[in-house]
Amino acid sequence: MNKILSNKKAIAVFVLPTVILFTLILFVPVIQMIGYSFTDYNALSKPSFCGLKNYRTMMKDDVLLTALKNSIFFLLFSAVTQQIIGILLAVLLTNIKKGRNTFKNIIYLPCVLSSAALGLLWAFMFNPRMGINQFLAVFGIKGPLWLMDTKGFIILPMWVIAFVALWQYVGQNMMLYMAQITGISQDLYEAAYVDGASRGQAFRYITLPLIKPMLVITLSLNCIGSLKFFDLVYNMTQGGPNNRTQVLATWLYFQGFQYFKYGYSSAIAVLLLIMCLAVTFLIKKGIHVETYEA
Amino acid sequence: MAEITEIGAVRQKKVRISTVIIYLVLVLLAIIYIIPLLWVLEVSLKTNAEVFQSPFAFPKVLQLGNYIFAWTTGKLGKAMLNSLVVCTVTLAISLFFGAMTAFAIGRMKWRMANATMAYIMIGMMIPVHCVLIPLFVRFSRIGLTNSLPGLILPYLTFSLPQIVFLMTGFFKSLPRELFEAACIDGCGIYRMFFTIALPLSRTGLYVAGMMTFIGNWNELLLAMVFISDPTRKTLPVTLTYFVGPYATNYVQMFAAIVIAVLPSILVYCAFSNQIVGGLTAGAVKG
Repeated sequence: MNKILSNKKAIAVFVLPTVILFTLILFVPVIQMIGYSFTDYNALSKPSFCGLKNYRTMMKDDVLLTALKNSIFFLLFSAVTQQIIGILLAVLLTNIKKGRNTFKNIIYLPCVLSSAALGLLWAFMFNPRMGINQFLAVFGIKGPLWLMDTKGFIILPMWVIAFVALWQYVGQNMMLYMAQITGISQDLYEAAYVDGASRGQAFRYITLPLIKPMLVITLSLNCIGSLKFFDLVYNMTQGGPNNRTQVLATWLYFQGFQYFKYGYSSAIAVLLLIMCLAVTFLIKKGIHVETYEA
Repeated sequence: MAEITEIGAVRQKKVRISTVIIYLVLVLLAIIYIIPLLWVLEVSLKTNAEVFQSPFAFPKVLQLGNYIFAWTTGKLGKAMLNSLVVCTVTLAISLFFGAMTAFAIGRMKWRMANATMAYIMIGMMIPVHCVLIPLFVRFSRIGLTNSLPGLILPYLTFSLPQIVFLMTGFFKSLPRELFEAACIDGCGIYRMFFTIALPLSRTGLYVAGMMTFIGNWNELLLAMVFISDPTRKTLPVTLTYFVGPYATNYVQMFAAIVIAVLPSILVYCAFSNQIVGGLTAGAVKG
C-alpha cells in the first residue's frame, strides 16, 4: 500500500503539470512585475533601471491618490454593508419556509451574471435621461447626474457604483451565512425560549457567536473582491468624470494598456498586491474564532 | 404548563406580524433585483424614439430587428462561441490537472506534499492584475496574444488553486479502506486514480467545475488585454466594446445586453438550486 502511494514517478506525473504552469504563468510573472516596477519601461523601450522613481511618481500622482482613496472606500463600504445586509437577509430567509428558495435564488442571481453586462445595464439605469431619472420625472423630481456629479469627498458616482456592487454580490454573503445558520441546532433556540429569551436575545447570544467562523471567509471574499474591483467601474464610468472614479485596478489598466507605461503600471500592481496580502493577513490574525460545541 | 402555552400563544401572534414584515421586505428586494432585468428586456424591444417619448408603455411593435442588429453587427454570436471554446477547454484541462495534483497531495505519501499545497495556495491571494504586464510582454513575443490558447493558459493557472484546494479535501475524505482493498487486488496507482478516486468525487468535480466555468465565462480584464482581434474576443469584451458610453443607438445596445446575460439566466433558472448549493459548498470549503 505505502509503496504504491509513495511512487515517485506517479507523484511527478500528477503534480508537475500544475506546478510548472503555476511557476511559468504566475510566479515568474509576479517576480518580473516587481522587477519592472523599478524600471523605466514602455511599449517601445527596453526596461532600464530607475530605482524608486515610479514609487516617487506615485506619491505625486493625484489620480493615483484618488484611486487609492476610492479603493479604500470600496473596501470599507463593501465590508460593512455586505456583512450587515448579508447577515440580515440570511436571518430573514431562515425564518420563513414558504418561498425561501425562490427569494434566495433571485437575490443570488446577479452573482453568477457577468459584471461587465450588469455594469452596462446599471450605467443605463443611472443615465441622466433614462431609467431612474425618467421614473423620478413622473413625480416631478429632477434626478441628479448620477454618474457625472463631482461634489464631495467621496463623489456621488462612487456611491452609485458601490451600491451596484452591493446589489450584485450581497447574495454571496447571504448564501454563506444561510448555510451556517441552518447548521445551528434548533434545540439551542428552544432551550433559550423556554428560559424566556426574546428573539433579539436569541439572535445576539446564539446566532451571532455561532456564525462567527463564517466571518473570516466572507470578509476575505468581500475585501479581496473589492480591491480587485475592475469590471463595474470600467463599464459604468471608465474612471470618469475627469478620472475621479478611478480605482487602483482601473488606473493600473489605463497606465499599462492605454498609456503603455509598463513600469509605472507595475508599481501600482505592487501596491495592489501588498494591499491584498495585508488585508488577508489582518483578517486571518485579527479575528479569533472560538469553536463551540453544538 | 399553562404559563408556557400562554407564552407560546403570544409568541405565535408576534411571529405572524413579523412574518408579514419579512415577506414585505423580501418582496421589495425581489422587485429591486428583477426590475432592472425586465427594464432592459422591455427597452430592447422598443424604438429609440419610444424610449424617450413613452418610457413606461410597452412597445407598440416588438422591434426584433434590434436583436438581429446586435447579433450580426455586434458579432455577439462569434463572441459567444469564443467564450464557449475558451471556457470549456479551460474547464476540462484545469479539472484534470487539478484533480491529479489534489490526489497526489491528499492521498499519496511524500515529503513535499504540504509545501506544494502552500505554494499553490499562495496563488489564491495574488490578483490577476499583478501578472498582466509581464505575461502580455512575454506572450506578444512568442505570438500568443490574440489567440485563444493565450487566454486559456492564464485562465487555467488562475482556476487551479481553488480546484486543487476543493479536490484535496474531497480525496482526503474518501475512506482509506477502499484504496487498501484496491491495492490488495493489485490495482496500480494510475488505475486507482481513474477508476476509484475520480468517480467517487464527482460532487467535488461538479462544484469545482461550476465555479471555474462561471468565473471564466464572466472574466473581462485578461480577455480585454490579451485579445484585440475582434473575431477572437470573448463575450464580456465584445459587449463592452459594442456598448460604448457615447453611442446613441440605445435599443440595440440593450438587445446586446439581453443576448449576453440571457444564456446565463436560462441555465440558472433551470438548475438554480444545484448551482447555488454547489457554489456555496465551494466557497465554504475554499
